Amino acid sequence: MLTRITYALRETWASFKRNVTLSAASIVTAAVALLLAGSTLLIQKAFSNLLIQWQGGVEMIVFMKAGTSPEQIASVKQEIVDAGVAAPDGISTLDQQQTYDQAKVVLAGQTTLLNALSPTSMYSEIRVTPAKGQQDRLPDLKTQIEIEPNVSKVGLATDAILVYRRLSSFVRGVTIVLSSVLLMVAVLLIWNTIRTAMFARRREIEVMKLVGATNWFIRIPFMLEGLLQGLIGSVVSCIGLVAANSLWTNNLNGIAHDTKSSETISLLALRVDSGYLQGIMVIVVIIGMAAGAIGAGVAASRFLDV
Amino acid sequence: MIRLDNVTKQYTTEVTAVRDASFDIPKGEFVFLVGASGSGKSTLLRLLNRQERPERGSVFVAGQDLNAMADSKVPFLRRNIGNIFQDYKLLLNKTVFENVAFTLEVIGRPNHVIKQQVPAVLELVQLHGKEDRFPHQLSGGEQQRVSIARAFVNRPLIMLADEPTGNLDPSTGEGIMRLLDRINKTGTTVVMATHDQRIVNMMRRRVIQLDRGVIIRDQVRGVYE
Repeated sequence: MLTRITYALRETWASFKRNVTLSAASIVTAAVALLLAGSTLLIQKAFSNLLIQWQGGVEMIVFMKAGTSPEQIASVKQEIVDAGVAAPDGISTLDQQQTYDQAKVVLAGQTTLLNALSPTSMYSEIRVTPAKGQQDRLPDLKTQIEIEPNVSKVGLATDAILVYRRLSSFVRGVTIVLSSVLLMVAVLLIWNTIRTAMFARRREIEVMKLVGATNWFIRIPFMLEGLLQGLIGSVVSCIGLVAANSLWTNNLNGIAHDTKSSETISLLALRVDSGYLQGIMVIVVIIGMAAGAIGAGVAASRFLDV
Repeated sequence: MIRLDNVTKQYTTEVTAVRDASFDIPKGEFVFLVGASGSGKSTLLRLLNRQERPERGSVFVAGQDLNAMADSKVPFLRRNIGNIFQDYKLLLNKTVFENVAFTLEVIGRPNHVIKQQVPAVLELVQLHGKEDRFPHQLSGGEQQRVSIARAFVNRPLIMLADEPTGNLDPSTGEGIMRLLDRINKTGTTVVMATHDQRIVNMMRRRVIQLDRGVIIRDQVRGVYE
């Protein structure tokens, strides 16, 4: 067993060095593809943080005063239902604990602000998704609800929110397509590198088969080579992701620090916390290694006739 | 050890390499396959190590029906068969020792076995002291000896030799034949394809002659005709 492992590792490294130019091309392509894929997830998370209250087509939020009873909330909710503006299942409520949990996501990293908050100091919320064609009636409903004694304020989705929402979908779509295409290119490049490596070693492979090597024994060093290319590519992309996220966070902090307006402070929600980034990096490394090993494995299998 | 029953191998509808071939080769025998180029000698050897499968008939090697054998079992069959080629098929980036050790390495033999068996077989083929040379630093005869060492290091039951003296001068060829004879005397069955009349006549072993894929002669202690 030790002989086989030593052999596989030695052959993997030798082949990797022998095809250094092609390997480098595969690694760079894999790195770019995975960087884009990772960025897609980061962008999605950033927009998701920013639009956390406005997800699912919500266009009006009723903020209930702290200490409002569930019955009083239900009464306001009923008033909204009676107005006939909301879509079926278009009204949801969040209690104080739930809004506090959301605040923790939006304000991640802003410890001073977070320390000032507690579940009991938070609003309860009623979120309204309007029925199709009913958006124009929301301002009237807002006026009607605002005067209720337990309502603190009513917010309508601003044009900016609507733009962010559309932008988020667009950016997500484009980056998913681009990263998928690039990932496919990376797999094909790895496939081609392995095919070239196998062609260069066809004599050796022929001898191996004639002396009784199993197909798996022949295939494994090539799969390891593909896996290594995917691994290096993914590590490079992770370094890029950390750098990009750090640059992004610093810029947002700088803007918020310089302007200090409430609108720019709300943009801090676009930051992605390091825990989420680490999760993305793990995913990126797994995708990179799997893509490399699968691409190489398919190439190796195609050129191994018993 | 080897049995062919009415074996036919066709590459295309027009090209039949072996036609209705049948023979038995008992354990320890030395057999020459003779015939002109294209007569089907190499195809017969390829049928014996399952590089080819026949369209009709059965091939039995070491008691196993190769037609019925699963692809996954083929490597284990080949561990019992040594192969020697006219062009040696040595790995040019490996030394003599590494070329021979390669056979043991790919079938997972431990290092201590490799270190013990490779020098022994190099001694047998009289290449002791040339372990660290690369193939391009050896003569044709020496390269063929490395090839034989590689085929024999695993002590196979059968040796298949495809024109092993084809690229060698007569005296070097005779040396190779003496070596194959010694290997045969250890109990290994040797099947050798050749059109080297001198060698066949010198050895006087069983001769199976092919003509356009058909066996036209099977003679004990035969000569080249």
